Amino acid sequence: MPLDQQKALLFGSAAAVRLLLFTAFPSLPNRLAGRVEVSTPVTSFKRLQEGLFLYTHNVSPYDGGVYHQAPLLLPLFSLLPNPSYYPFATSVLFTMVDLLSALALAQIAESGQSVVTRLFKSSRKDLRWSSVAIAAGFLFNPFTVATCIARSTSALTNLFILTAMAKASQGASFTFVLALSFASYLAMHPLLLFPPLLVLLYDARASKTKSAPSPFLFSVVHTLGLAAAVCALLFVSALLTGSWDFLAATYGVRLLLPDLTPNVGLWWYFFTEMFDSFREFFLGVFWLHVASYMPGLTIRLRKQPLFVATTLTGIFAIFTPYPSIADATLYLSLVPLFRHLFPLMRYTFLASASILYASFLGPAFYHLWIYAGSGNANFFYAITLVWSLGLSIIVGDSLYAALRDELDVERPELRGEEVKRI
Amino acid sequence: MLSFLHFLLLIALVACASASSDYHERLLLRPLPQSTLLASFNFRSMESSVAFAQQNFRYFPRSFGQILQHAHTKELHVRFSVGRWDADNWGQRPWHGAREGGTGVELWAWIEAQSEEEAFSRWLTLVNSLSGLFCASLNFIDATKTIRPVMSFVPEGDHANSTSLHLLHGTLPHEVVCTENLTPFLKLLPCKGKAGISSLLDGHKLFDASFQTMAIDVRPVCEGAGGSCVLEMEQTVDMVLDIARSKRPRDDPIPRARPIEEIECDTGKGYNSGDTCYPLDKHAEPAWNLTELFGRPLKGACPLTEETGDDANTLCINTPPERTIQVNTTGKYAETRSASDTLRCYKLPIGAEFDLVLPEQQMTTGLVRAEPQLYAARSINGHGQERGSVQAVIKNPSETDAVEFVYLESLPWFMKPYLHTLRARVDTSSENPVRETYYRPAVDRRRGTHLELRMVIPAGSTLTLTYDFEKAILRYTEYPPDANRGFDVAPAVIRLLAPYQSVDKKGIYLRTTSLLLPLPTPDFSMPYNVIILTSTVMALGFGNIFNLLVRRFVGVDEVPALGAGGLKGVIMGKIERLKAKLGRA
Amino acid sequence: MALLATILALRRDARILKLPPYLSALCIIVGVAWLLVLPLNEYSRNTYVSENALLPGQVHTYFTGSEHNIFRAYRHEVALLVDSSVEERTQKLGDLLRASNLKVATQNYEYHAAGRNISNKNVYAILQGPRADATEAVVLVAAWKNMDGEVNYSGVALVLALARYFKRWSLWSKDIIFLISGDSTSGPQAWVDAYHDQHDPRHVENLKIKSGALQGAVAVDYPAGPWGHRYDKLHIVYDGVNGQLPNLDLFNTAVSIASGQMGIGCTLQRMWKHDDSYQERLRTMLRGMLSQGLGHATGPHSAFIPYHVDAITLVTVGDGWHDEMSLGRTVESLFRSLNNLLEHLHQSFFFYLLLQANRFVSIGTYLPSAMLIAANFSITAIALWVQSGRPATPSANPIATEPSSSASKSEKNKGKEAEKSKDEKKPSMTVAEKDGAIALFPTKDLEITERALFLPLIFVLTTHFLGLLPLYVFNNTPEPYLAHTFLAVSNITSVLPLGAAYLLRQFKRPTAQEMTLIQCFSVLFLGMFLSALATLNFSLAFIIGILSCPLSFVRTSKNKILGTVMYAVLALLNPVMVIQAATWFFGHGVVEILVKAAEGWHVWGLWTQVVVWLVWWPAWFAGSVVVAGGLFA
Repeated sequence: MPLDQQKALLFGSAAAVRLLLFTAFPSLPNRLAGRVEVSTPVTSFKRLQEGLFLYTHNVSPYDGGVYHQAPLLLPLFSLLPNPSYYPFATSVLFTMVDLLSALALAQIAESGQSVVTRLFKSSRKDLRWSSVAIAAGFLFNPFTVATCIARSTSALTNLFILTAMAKASQGASFTFVLALSFASYLAMHPLLLFPPLLVLLYDARASKTKSAPSPFLFSVVHTLGLAAAVCALLFVSALLTGSWDFLAATYGVRLLLPDLTPNVGLWWYFFTEMFDSFREFFLGVFWLHVASYMPGLTIRLRKQPLFVATTLTGIFAIFTPYPSIADATLYLSLVPLFRHLFPLMRYTFLASASILYASFLGPAFYHLWIYAGSGNANFFYAITLVWSLGLSIIVGDSLYAALRDELDVERPELRGEEVKRI
Repeated sequence: MLSFLHFLLLIALVACASASSDYHERLLLRPLPQSTLLASFNFRSMESSVAFAQQNFRYFPRSFGQILQHAHTKELHVRFSVGRWDADNWGQRPWHGAREGGTGVELWAWIEAQSEEEAFSRWLTLVNSLSGLFCASLNFIDATKTIRPVMSFVPEGDHANSTSLHLLHGTLPHEVVCTENLTPFLKLLPCKGKAGISSLLDGHKLFDASFQTMAIDVRPVCEGAGGSCVLEMEQTVDMVLDIARSKRPRDDPIPRARPIEEIECDTGKGYNSGDTCYPLDKHAEPAWNLTELFGRPLKGACPLTEETGDDANTLCINTPPERTIQVNTTGKYAETRSASDTLRCYKLPIGAEFDLVLPEQQMTTGLVRAEPQLYAARSINGHGQERGSVQAVIKNPSETDAVEFVYLESLPWFMKPYLHTLRARVDTSSENPVRETYYRPAVDRRRGTHLELRMVIPAGSTLTLTYDFEKAILRYTEYPPDANRGFDVAPAVIRLLAPYQSVDKKGIYLRTTSLLLPLPTPDFSMPYNVIILTSTVMALGFGNIFNLLVRRFVGVDEVPALGAGGLKGVIMGKIERLKAKLGRA
Repeated sequence: MALLATILALRRDARILKLPPYLSALCIIVGVAWLLVLPLNEYSRNTYVSENALLPGQVHTYFTGSEHNIFRAYRHEVALLVDSSVEERTQKLGDLLRASNLKVATQNYEYHAAGRNISNKNVYAILQGPRADATEAVVLVAAWKNMDGEVNYSGVALVLALARYFKRWSLWSKDIIFLISGDSTSGPQAWVDAYHDQHDPRHVENLKIKSGALQGAVAVDYPAGPWGHRYDKLHIVYDGVNGQLPNLDLFNTAVSIASGQMGIGCTLQRMWKHDDSYQERLRTMLRGMLSQGLGHATGPHSAFIPYHVDAITLVTVGDGWHDEMSLGRTVESLFRSLNNLLEHLHQSFFFYLLLQANRFVSIGTYLPSAMLIAANFSITAIALWVQSGRPATPSANPIATEPSSSASKSEKNKGKEAEKSKDEKKPSMTVAEKDGAIALFPTKDLEITERALFLPLIFVLTTHFLGLLPLYVFNNTPEPYLAHTFLAVSNITSVLPLGAAYLLRQFKRPTAQEMTLIQCFSVLFLGMFLSALATLNFSLAFIIGILSCPLSFVRTSKNKILGTVMYAVLALLNPVMVIQAATWFFGHGVVEILVKAAEGWHVWGLWTQVVVWLVWWPAWFAGSVVVAGGLFA
């Protein structure tokens, strides 16, 4: 089994790298956890520690402006030894989370849903990367490593999203619903992934069993299942914290953006500068904008649900209120699944160069604004614009490539020809 | 230590004059080291609670009384302070810090109400009316600046017959106290600053002092159980005057270099010559008198005070016996000495000016400097506008006994402390000095942080308290005009519990200085640009993606076939022809 | 997007590959020319004070009369302390400050750098402003020894006299801290580190007393002996560590007070004679850029600036008729202005190049030059990328792929290329059948030109990590060995590229494409670092950009002579060689510079050598390897 040897080697080395970083530079985790690019108010590990402290001292963590993360994290982390004294257990946990995510990613790659689905077979299907390569692309992506070292809880969200995708592409209903419900419970916006992944699940099922189940019944059952799971989680949390305050403190904060701490996204500066009377209106518009992509993509690309889900993760990385590089790394590590689309993409160098520039200039400008005091907020804001632009170019370009790929199958004679959109 | 006892004794003397008459006033002068002088004014007026309820006020100011009644306030404490008390040089605080506030305005009150909401609404009524009364922006004390202390404050009055009292506490560290606050303060006095010691209070000198605090305390005092109750209103002004600075005439306050003849040079120095002079700092007590120090004469006694007895001595000075003091007046006065002659009190003449003249004098005995029970200093560590850490250093000078105290922090909501990073270390012992913690975290834009710690600090050791905090970035409308100055953080209040017990129910307090908290600022000039740019980026993404989604691909060769008809086609054709021409030419 | 589309269309054009070298050459030329026109009146501006609260020179100053006698006495007192030990000195200075009723404390510090031991003692006093509430403070610094190692007699005496004088005023709205530091660079650094609690308690003692947030700092350097010396001009030093600058308002206030109110001429960047001519302005600017680029501490004020505390040093120069009191009144007026400040200085510029005491260029005007230099590298990188994307025979559309590395991929690619080269002989056709319709098209379109990214990426990353080695060596070698170390490093680095290229040839024959990609990535990184650096330290970015611009023109060439020439050029521009040449040119010893650099690294937190060894050197190394590769072809 050479492949498994490869896998073992890869995972071993990835774990080694992380644990080495954790142990060799004890100050690094906290330093990274303090970076606004890595940890946002809704994923920061320092805030999680504060929440834990209050929770263990019988102060409601949600009766305050610091802790905005899901209640179930509290008992989970209160089981571990206090990370400020014994950080090892926590680092092991986060390393495991990364490895599991990589495993899920590999499963997605092996399922081959990215190139061949039930209704669609790409003409470039032989152009693929091995699952190991893709997992490596995830595990050794510096952004992923940074997220892991910073112990940002968005790593958990990513794990659940990837697991949901993997299970969906394998056609495992129950685990899929469970994983997705966890993801949505932690971060709320993954709920938007449900329709495309449901389609994916349906396809996987249908291609497995000769007789396709009735779509209506299928979707109803799973929707109810998801609703039930999420409600169960919320109910457990309410039992745990003794009140429903956590709803306002977690999802309310994600919805209404009271905490304007800078991040790589587009929202924070916009709502810092927004006039008070229009704040609510624009909040609504922005959320509508984020949600609007899901139906359009799902309908247009119903033949390639996995691609839709991937693109949506990209959308989340750009347009959600509290994005971090963790969301970007999720998207960027899913894109290589569609290796066969790269030949059709046009702006790759541009996009990747702009992202590289942003990731170098971002910290520099943030330093100028916050520490040197010689630059003002516009410096960092400009870089977040570039970053978002770079990501959105990749998203749009890959979407173009996917549609072009479909076209090549529909009308092989147009292959390699110039095409126009009308 | 002996002097320390003396000091306590005389504090007792000054503070606990019996409540026989209805109006008392007293000025205590205390020379401090480095040629400074502490002047603490104290005015007390009583009103029987029955009369108060019927709204017939004699000494109690009507405007003030009606506010209290309207806001159902049973006990009230207001403080206006500028500068800081220099404990290492000046020793113990006047009144053990019980009549002192943090920089700016501090206000706490016991309000009678059925529910917290009611209490808070009455509190708002109170602060709004007081802000009108004192010309201070007390009305800015809103929910985010109000806390409900648990351990730090205890009522001074007797509240046996009143039920369900709520303690609320608010601070305005940024408020600049000035003369417009002094005038209404004087208006509350029966003698309105026309006669009595209050005639010495002059805005220019008061606010040129190195440290000054004005206090108003209203509390019910009852004779035993079920006895008749009186409402006592106490007004206090403490000021530390730099004698040299205050003696300057008002028309020429500039500290010009004195002519070289007036400077005493050290002729012992080898280089001493006509143009080189090493100044000798003279150790003699400087000369001063009341008139030049306070900028106006003392216009006799306030006729409303007692004629006889201890309370008649409205002016006291606390100096070593050897200090010569000449009295300069036309009226008849009386001098009494007490506390083994370290305290001299004078019964002022009525209707005649009175002045104390102290000549320059070489002293053999040093001044009384009572060692403070605790020293406290607080500062912000780290730099940058993202995060930082607060460090409070509290020192216990006593060699014998450990001190137990309560440490109260009231932080604005945009300064987010991390309680799990709170560390309290004592340099002499390894045990955790924190005995009890009360913490109420802040909620964005709704309420500030409230932290109270009960701690014990062993004898002769230093306690270091640190915690990290993060700075929030505000909406651009929430910044003040001077956004780049930063925001003031209220001083921490420290109340001593054991072993020191004050002679009355006032308690022993000390306060740290306030802090300056610089926040990250957005660019205030470009809301429109930001809105436009962000929207552009979103439009690019949205437009690009939906453009792909809604359209359909066809080969280029098929396009003209589609676009031929209609105006577009015509124009296209013309352009093509033009191109062809150009190509030929 | 339309624009991008046209660019993409251009990419099809074969001629486009000829263009980039000229384009980058143009960038460089324009960039340099841009810098040269800055001193002209059209491109520079007169300075102005934009913070209204400062009101420079609006107050009458009273530091005269008998204060002068006292100042002389203090100067004698200071002169008596010259031979006494550090302890006695600080003790005596502390007593002098205590005599004027100030709170006094001392601070020991001890640093180890380049095997040397820097240990001394700071003494400082806090004047608590009567109107202040301990939230803000301004600092008046006098180092015991100035940058040239002379004892700062009059400076220290002036601080003592001013402390005594300021104490009498009642108008201070901020605390005033009087700091007499043990030396000019490490002392203030230790003090300001400890003030913000950013220090290492093993080397630097904690501060016993503190005040509020520092709003500004002014240092005086007046090394006139006990009998005084009348000076001609004030030399205002403003560069901070790592080329960070104080707010221009502080500089302007000092200039307008000194020249406007006191009638003292001001000069900067050691331009003792400055007739407002183009050459003089240009020289001033270049000197300023050089000292900013080096990023070293230029005075006691330098340590404050990284903490966002605006600071300058006033140095007296020349023989003239201004006496110590005029300097004292300048400082008095300056502090009255700072005392007026309501907010932290933020109105005026933080990025500027000064041409003269009253003329400057703001960032918007000068930044493009450095950016153009950086851009030329990016252009080259893009060109190399496109070029590497071209197959042997131009296919329908050469296509980019995103750079991401994986071992298995590169293996696959080689295989693919091999087979491509085979089946390019006979244009094979593929049959596609879709619901009845049958289409034929050449297989070539099915394939895409692949880039072998693995080796180049690994190589470039390794070189960048390799830079850590000299960085560590130079920062931790004791002084006696530095000379030999430097010699060894210079020799090794000059031949290393040849060896590397040779080994590369021997063990893993890199294809031409891989060589191109190596250069592409290294140049891309260089461009990226430089453009990021240009915003932090413009001058450094510009200098390095100029020195390494040949890297965007050299290529792997089959022509041996050309290759040798190119390699020779690069060998001359080897960072180590450049350092040697520069030290020789400015008449400093290499060792002296290295010792300073090590001190900077350990004490001031200097970042220049990081840029040199982790940005400049790797780029140079990669470029040379690419060139050397041609020699072994």
